[in-house]
Amino acid sequence: MLEIQNLKTRIGDSEILRGLSLSVNAGEVHAIMGPNGSGKSTLAQVVAGHADYEVTAGTVTYNGKNLLELEPEERAREGIFLGFQYPVEIPGVNNAYLLKAAVNAKRKHQGLGEVDAFEFLKLAREKMTTLGMDPKFLNRGVNEGFSGGEKKRNEILQMAMLEPSLAILDETDSGLDIDALKAVAEGVNALRSPDRAIILVTHYQRLLDYIEPDQVHVLSEGRIVRSGDKSLALELEERGYDWLREAASA
Amino acid sequence: MKQSSLSITDLRDVMRTLPDNGLTPAREAALAHLDEHGLPTLRDEDWKYTDLSQVIDISNRWLNAAGDKRAPNPQGSHIESIISSIDATWLVISNGSVDGRSSEGITGSGIEISRFSDAPSPFVMERPLADLNAALLQDGLRIRVTGRVEKPVGVLVIDRAGSSAGVSQSCVEVDVTPGASVELIEYHSSDGNEDHYANSVLSLAIGANAKVKHVRIQNRSLKHVQTGRTSVALGRNAELRMASYDLGGGLIRIDVDIDLSEPGSVVVFDGLYLAGDGQHIDNHTCVDHYVGPATSTQEYRGVLSGKCRCVWNGKAIVHKGADGTDASQANHNLLLSEKAEIDAKPELEIYAEDVKCSHGTTVGQLDESALFYLRSRGLSRSHATQVLTHAFAADIVLRAPVAAARDAITGLVETRLAELIESDFVADLQS
Repeated sequence: MLEIQNLKTRIGDSEILRGLSLSVNAGEVHAIMGPNGSGKSTLAQVVAGHADYEVTAGTVTYNGKNLLELEPEERAREGIFLGFQYPVEIPGVNNAYLLKAAVNAKRKHQGLGEVDAFEFLKLAREKMTTLGMDPKFLNRGVNEGFSGGEKKRNEILQMAMLEPSLAILDETDSGLDIDALKAVAEGVNALRSPDRAIILVTHYQRLLDYIEPDQVHVLSEGRIVRSGDKSLALELEERGYDWLREAASA
Repeated sequence: MKQSSLSITDLRDVMRTLPDNGLTPAREAALAHLDEHGLPTLRDEDWKYTDLSQVIDISNRWLNAAGDKRAPNPQGSHIESIISSIDATWLVISNGSVDGRSSEGITGSGIEISRFSDAPSPFVMERPLADLNAALLQDGLRIRVTGRVEKPVGVLVIDRAGSSAGVSQSCVEVDVTPGASVELIEYHSSDGNEDHYANSVLSLAIGANAKVKHVRIQNRSLKHVQTGRTSVALGRNAELRMASYDLGGGLIRIDVDIDLSEPGSVVVFDGLYLAGDGQHIDNHTCVDHYVGPATSTQEYRGVLSGKCRCVWNGKAIVHKGADGTDASQANHNLLLSEKAEIDAKPELEIYAEDVKCSHGTTVGQLDESALFYLRSRGLSRSHATQVLTHAFAADIVLRAPVAAARDAITGLVETRLAELIESDFVADLQS
């Protein structure tokens, strides 16, 4: 589904990804771990199409298409979803409006008609209840005045409504209490299916207790320095990242 | 040939062709004031951003045609579409003439409608362009509110340019007696291809404990010029909630003067201006706090696209002894294009003790992180731009004090914003 080859990116003068390669197949859950500044968030943003990052080398192919040629909105309509590490507050833009506009943009791309407003709101309310969100949040400004946990749940709500083929969740677990973490994990697990792929960008192993990954990759200085199964995450939890960095530079 | 000022002789000639309806002494006095003081120029501090040479040019062409009165009447369908968009009791001033049907059947519970010619009064408003207004005024509209008026009262000022340059004057006096209340809608519109200059005056006297809600909607042709003055005086414990929406017009200059000479009064006013290529919209406000306690709060917001220029100059003067004054001013601008220009100038003059005053001005572009967030959810760049721009303008629209006008304002703002965003995208593609 997603094929990244030797990807190099820079922002301003600093090179962040330095030849990253990653292959994710439908049905798989991958966890990307690594120390701060290793390029985890950059990878997520580049796949979503953030213009601040300049791709200097490499290829990113998504379902056979050159992803780097697509605008962020085209990527979204093709089924890519980025759960933001820091969801943006947009006062004055109604949460329900954004949800509906997002779903309709995708449906239009697929040649489908607009959703039925009543059914849509009913579905949104159901999903919110499952996520432990007050349905009143539908009528608030997007993320406006939301707590950290509420923002992350809101990202998962958007994901649940959009039903992406490839979801990249950028540190969705950070700053969550255990209840919120469980709710978020349930939301992600509910989406797991043979035709979807999920990439979890995370700093800690904790999230992986609730969402079991098929593969774990360790990112260091812009490259994947080790890949393995879920046991690698446990090893990292025990030994930290330094041993890998040493191993990589050796 | 362009002239740098108006010919008083020509003005007098045209003035003498106006109906002899008892307003002649006031016209003469106003013309004498104009002769003495002239029109404001760029050298006047209050007028340094707005060049009136277009006003002079249109007026002189009109005067040279001896005050051409052959201007066609505004189309009935145009009037109908506006007055049917807001549920109100409508009065119409078309091409400077108070519509004969206007006052019929309205005078009734708590409200009296008349014309200046019914009881002429002397010229007193010695303010720039108000003198020109009084000198050339055919007749004015007087609204006296003596009770609690439930249905909003709308005044539609509509002009239609004919085959040559046109000039029109409108003047509305509203007197709200103590304890009375009313909702007012002032709607300015125009069409036609020739140049047109409209000059309007609204004078609003709000008695003790009276309450007024007022919206001004300006949606003139993008070719036309308008200057306007709103002059308000509030009595003890009186309250005014006001909002203005400038959507159209080529050159627009609006002055708002608010006089707080009695304690306990509250004024809250907002403004929204949406400008695109070739537009110049200037809002000058001045609140005089003569006594305290009294509160004035204003917030203007602007969305600017293409090559346009807007001006916001908000002045609050807290005079000696006006202790207990609470005055705040805010102005926020969203620039969608690099060619747009805003001159934002808050002015606070404080000569009293124990006052609370604040002002803030911002000029910015769309938040890129918010744009990316929306695009990452599948919204196109133009849709995301539209959503964020609407959100910026929405507060001022939602705060429209006259509820009956809110839907119409929302529709006008949405339409205009869509045009502005669309034209910027076309400009982007071509550059």
